[in-house]
Amino acid sequence: MIQDAGEIVRDAIVHAEICIVGGGPAGITLAMTLARAGHGVLLLESGDLGARDEAQDLNAGEVADESLHSPPDKYRQRCLGGATSIWGGRCVPFDPIDFKARPWIDHSGWPIGYDEVEPYYAGANALCEAGEFEYDARLAIQGGMRPLLRGFTPRHFDLNGIERFSCPTNFGRRYEAGLRAAGNVRVLLRATVTHLQSSRDGSRIESLHVRNVRDIGFSVTADQFVLAIGGIETPRLMLTSNDVQTNGIGNANDLVGRFYMCHIAGTIGSLQVNGGSDQVWHGYDVAPDGTYCRRRIALRPDVQSAMGLGNAVFRLHHPRIADPRHRTGPLSAIFLAQKFISYEYAKRLVSDVPPTPALWMRHGLNAVSDPISTVRFLGHWLRDRTLAERKFPSIIIRPRTNLFSLDFHAEQVPNPGSRITLGSAVDIFGNRQVRIDWHYTRQDVETVARSFDLLRDDIARQAIGNLSLAAGERDIEDVVRRDGAYGGHHIGTARMAASAASGVIDRDCKVFGINNLYVAGSAAFSTSSQANPTLTIVALALRLAHHLNSIVNRTSNVRVTEQSMVVSEL
Amino acid sequence: MPDTMEFPRKPVLVLGASGFIGSRVVAALTSSPLYRPVAASRRSAPAVDATDPKAVSGALRDVDCVVNCIAGDNRTMLRSTRVLCDAARISPPRRIVHISSMAVYGAATGWIHEDKPPVAPISSYGQAKVECERIVSKYVEDGGDAVILRPTCVFGAGSPQWNTRLAHLLKARRIGDLGSAGDGHCNLAFIDDVVAGILAALEAPDLAGRVFNISSSADLTWNEFLVVFAKALGATPVRRIAPRMLQIETKLLAPLLRAAAKVVRLPAIEAITPSLAALWRQDIQIDCSAAVATLMLPQTTVNQMLAATCRLQEPAFS
Repeated sequence: MIQDAGEIVRDAIVHAEICIVGGGPAGITLAMTLARAGHGVLLLESGDLGARDEAQDLNAGEVADESLHSPPDKYRQRCLGGATSIWGGRCVPFDPIDFKARPWIDHSGWPIGYDEVEPYYAGANALCEAGEFEYDARLAIQGGMRPLLRGFTPRHFDLNGIERFSCPTNFGRRYEAGLRAAGNVRVLLRATVTHLQSSRDGSRIESLHVRNVRDIGFSVTADQFVLAIGGIETPRLMLTSNDVQTNGIGNANDLVGRFYMCHIAGTIGSLQVNGGSDQVWHGYDVAPDGTYCRRRIALRPDVQSAMGLGNAVFRLHHPRIADPRHRTGPLSAIFLAQKFISYEYAKRLVSDVPPTPALWMRHGLNAVSDPISTVRFLGHWLRDRTLAERKFPSIIIRPRTNLFSLDFHAEQVPNPGSRITLGSAVDIFGNRQVRIDWHYTRQDVETVARSFDLLRDDIARQAIGNLSLAAGERDIEDVVRRDGAYGGHHIGTARMAASAASGVIDRDCKVFGINNLYVAGSAAFSTSSQANPTLTIVALALRLAHHLNSIVNRTSNVRVTEQSMVVSEL
Repeated sequence: MPDTMEFPRKPVLVLGASGFIGSRVVAALTSSPLYRPVAASRRSAPAVDATDPKAVSGALRDVDCVVNCIAGDNRTMLRSTRVLCDAARISPPRRIVHISSMAVYGAATGWIHEDKPPVAPISSYGQAKVECERIVSKYVEDGGDAVILRPTCVFGAGSPQWNTRLAHLLKARRIGDLGSAGDGHCNLAFIDDVVAGILAALEAPDLAGRVFNISSSADLTWNEFLVVFAKALGATPVRRIAPRMLQIETKLLAPLLRAAAKVVRLPAIEAITPSLAALWRQDIQIDCSAAVATLMLPQTTVNQMLAATCRLQEPAFS
């Protein structure tokens, strides 16, 4: 059932067998999976069915360097479905190398291997509605997908890895009916957790303090608690709950909020491909199950190891939209329509050049002088994106002259100095807001720069084309600074580790030193990979659900009925 | 033949012998050394009208058992079941195997055993099946021997509802991946499993008054089934269907097709009725463990079903 927390009376105690905080993809996955296994689940969501200002305001906070990181109320949605209500749908699994301890990357290595996550990826793919768990271009489509660059067999990159796209599925809208129908799930909307109350000895969480929108407080008790509130809110709630443990929950070693990673990502360079337009295919193929699939240019693991680099991928991309020299009508039409594009997407698409009247004029001329392409693109966008249930994932425009740019998406190495802390301002419930102090490292820049050089050499060696950098891009660090932290990927702030000395949670996602508190979501990641996080968030949530199912059966053998969730007044 | 001389084949009357299930039962009885089918339908020779008491009484003479596979409109099902049971009271066969349907459970959800009472709303078809079961149960109370089988969606080459219709809809991209509208549990009974269950029910001892769910092993949702079926048909890439499209189908197109069919003879255009759309959403999981234990019901997997069905392609697949 789904209920508004406004219906809970003041000072009530709501009890559940398992309480999940946060109704994003991790929380919803956990709730549905545990409910199917027969457990009584309470899911607390701070927002409503859709994002509202009053809940979004709770995301406010400060950023140490606003030129590098977006404000904390962007890319984060307080509503059922969480950030999947605005995501792009790109699904990519982590690579086996991402889980390994790599001597050339400090703090790398998970306490679990890829083989322990892999069994959950197929289920995650299904929940994300990204089709089969098949990420090999030779197998995803019968006969194989079209080659990216005909005849290109690079020495340092693999071209057979693909990304698959979710609808993009908004977990809230998609699974709302299932949550409503499930007899042993209670979803409380507009229920903001303000405090984790630990026992006197700090060994377990006794209750949660919860406020509804009318600022009426109530408590939640449960046998097990899971935080599934994202990489920024997780450390905030753990740090702010400091009445028993003065450093905050699970923060005895001052690791909560550290190792904050996003991805190093952006658009770079110009690739002039030799030959005709049939030499290159940078668009999507459609798998038999209807999923859009696309090849990537992935830095091979042995090359990462040999050269001491992080993980990274490139994609062929249209020329930079904001630069009118592309003289492409549809791209200029997108520039002109930027007011209608959400902040999260406009930031990547068009905001790297300040819009001046002259620039508007030049883009206007492009759009007018290329009317057929512009109208054709708008028709395609309306049919395949706006009206389609499975949406065309991104803007694919075939340049007239085989001139492309490169999208890069690279791992950010774990860095204890990049961190989330508590700021000075407080929210309406009196809790301190977050302060985001994101940092990249020289190694992050090196991963992009060296990978780019390797790709340029591979392309030149095989006479595929010419990859070059614009004048303002010669120093890759300038590009990294220009594009900043990739929005929406908030990783590592309650990282999984082999011991409390190096992380916040153990291999089962349980907070070190606390018997009944778990962390789901990308806060749990030890490293960031090249992959977008959502698929792995869902896979890890399925793995955590499996673990909780085994723990609860083993330790308490509770027979779950609807009555396991009661509301009582003190 | 010597073995036939020693073990005379038992005559089994099949009512509704020209229907999808009935014709397959007749074929199975024909190839069985134990039975001899007596096919009865309006199209059989001689033709038998199952709603005519005289015709049914005549057909019942000298048969060992009866399999009641009468389909068609609700009134025909009800009347023929009543006629059969009335005639059987006078000239009782050793056993009647009555084919009912999972539709008797109505809107029930969760794991469904045979003792689950119907949950409203129940379709008119389901209601008719409930009435038919009552008539058969009364016959058992009066001393007759009858078994009720409740198949789920009977799938296989020639199945008009779950094969031909869905294949047409998938090929026309009117259905596909239905999103949350296809999250219901897909309960399929493979036709060969159903026929095996019927033949087992003719012989298994002490079944009078027993009811069995008949379903094949299939732990999957309708979405998952529709995607694998579409792939088997080559109806790819599978289309994701927007909720508004399903609403247009069920609320606009289906009533229009139904109304038009009364006026003019339409080419075969399948309607997506509200009840069909409701089934795709219904989280009902039919438990057939009793039939597996008692009737040794085979459990054909979905992949095996599709392989067998698409091997025996009918024109719809070409």
